[in-house]
Amino acid sequence: MKHKDIWVIAEHHQDMVQPVTYQLITKANQIKGDKRIVVILFQTKEQSLEKDIIKYGPDEIIIVESDKMKDAPDSLIADLLAQLDKRYAPNSVLFGATVIGRSISARLQAKLQTGLTADCLDLSFEEDLLIQTKPSYGDNIMCEIICPNHFPQMATVRPNIFVAQLSDKKEVKLTKEKNLEIKSHNRIQVYEEKPLLSKSDSIANANRVIALGRGMSSQRGIEISRELASKLGAKIGVTRPLTDLEPFSVDDQIGQSGSSIAPKLLITLGVHGAVQFTTGIGKAEYVVAVNNNPKAPIFNEADYSFIGDATDFVEALLKIIQ
Amino acid sequence: MSLHIVVCVKQVPVSNNLKIDPVTKNVMRSSEPGIMNPFDQNAIEAALKMKERYGAKVTLLSMGPKNFEITLRQGLAMGADDAILLSSRAFGGADTLATGYVLSQAIKALGDVHLVFFGRQSIDADTGQVGPIVAEFLNWPQITYISQIYPVDNKSIEAVRLMENMEQSIKVTLPAVFTVRSELNEPRYATPRNIMLSYQKDIQVWDEKKLDVDPNRIGIKGSPTVVRKVWTPKKIVKKSESLGEDPDRAARKLLQILRARNII
Repeated sequence: MKHKDIWVIAEHHQDMVQPVTYQLITKANQIKGDKRIVVILFQTKEQSLEKDIIKYGPDEIIIVESDKMKDAPDSLIADLLAQLDKRYAPNSVLFGATVIGRSISARLQAKLQTGLTADCLDLSFEEDLLIQTKPSYGDNIMCEIICPNHFPQMATVRPNIFVAQLSDKKEVKLTKEKNLEIKSHNRIQVYEEKPLLSKSDSIANANRVIALGRGMSSQRGIEISRELASKLGAKIGVTRPLTDLEPFSVDDQIGQSGSSIAPKLLITLGVHGAVQFTTGIGKAEYVVAVNNNPKAPIFNEADYSFIGDATDFVEALLKIIQ
Repeated sequence: MSLHIVVCVKQVPVSNNLKIDPVTKNVMRSSEPGIMNPFDQNAIEAALKMKERYGAKVTLLSMGPKNFEITLRQGLAMGADDAILLSSRAFGGADTLATGYVLSQAIKALGDVHLVFFGRQSIDADTGQVGPIVAEFLNWPQITYISQIYPVDNKSIEAVRLMENMEQSIKVTLPAVFTVRSELNEPRYATPRNIMLSYQKDIQVWDEKKLDVDPNRIGIKGSPTVVRKVWTPKKIVKKSESLGEDPDRAARKLLQILRARNII
């Protein structure tokens, strides 16, 4: 039926479907009403990632298989999605708000001349109208955005806002899509894709995170924080100013333009708590804040607070943790 | 053949602490005119590096009210050659689609453009969509979120696209659209001499009559998205429990709590 399918565009790298794809399937299942969840999966003939996706219970997976899907440029994927849109006329199309998701969705938006809302934090339906909540001005303002007169309604959704849940749904329809025109995009060539050795993925998915701010950026501070991290089995993340400091990079950054994290335990050391940072820690379950400035806004986010020197505090912890 | 590079820039509010007009629901922009979007400075720097290497004309392009000239003047002072401001009431209220359409029509009007640079996203709307939209309307390949650029010659470029936990190496034959990350470079400061020279450079103002645009695809009319509601999120202030003032006792107390709650 026309405009009754919610599409989730699967993102995967190195044979791993990205967590945001599963998070989107779960969220879409919660809000779908009378609509169907259809995952669109582009993969090579050797891959069978639908086996992983099935576990999260979409109604259907449409699979496009081609050797050209290995390192396909954005423009090729957008082109294939536009062909699929013509065939199936979905109600809405959801992407993860990742580098790839944001880059492909905007090209598709231009092809289909419809609306696209970036970096949504919440989604719901009023009948067939998708209500999209997005932050603006560095998360200081929230906007509710709709796209009332165009289909599909498109959105990218921030990773780690929703929690993925396995589903016991038995009937998942698998459709191998045939007869798409795979045009050559030979002016652009993705000739290598490799994982970074950095930890961004691991802070985003870590159970315990230690966040370092300017107040803990000395050599000694970093050293003892690493020792504490290894004792607690925690990953280290940083605020933006520390990304310029060895051994950190932007991939270790927590917050806006960095990673959103959702650990059970977050210990912030010498972090002041600017909104650009705190926007990334809303999902942390227990937050411990250590800062020598009692007025630091980070204490508004904290379950437990220590006002004092972060180095002294970590040294005290190291003495008693085995 | 000398390169012609266009850098698209946006002026953004100075402060993130904005208020909402309770009646109109619009964001009340402060009386301060704003600053250049920081990522756009990286885009200008990247264009100027290409210029130094191969010789190029660097044109700045922006869409917005007249006071966006401040940002264009700053880009000219960094070393860009000329600037075009797309300014008209008819362009107002544009979302990313209508903005991308007008920018792409302006680039088509320039005619001989080889490379278009954008910053990865603006820091006010934070979408990062306009670069890819322009690439699509021009039917050019795109490389987004670039962290490194290796020009091969003046016709093809290799770049590294930095993703969340991956990176891609991509080679493209011009013309193309690039969006760049702050990791790419350190934007230069304008020297006093260049600031002075910038005042001899030309800022052209183009409106919808100067461009070949479909009136149904610009401004509010050409924008499929509607902002239905705007609000400032209520800050949830957690009730924070103090661990005391003595570091040793605080450390012991924390450990006790974490163990009791089965967190460690």
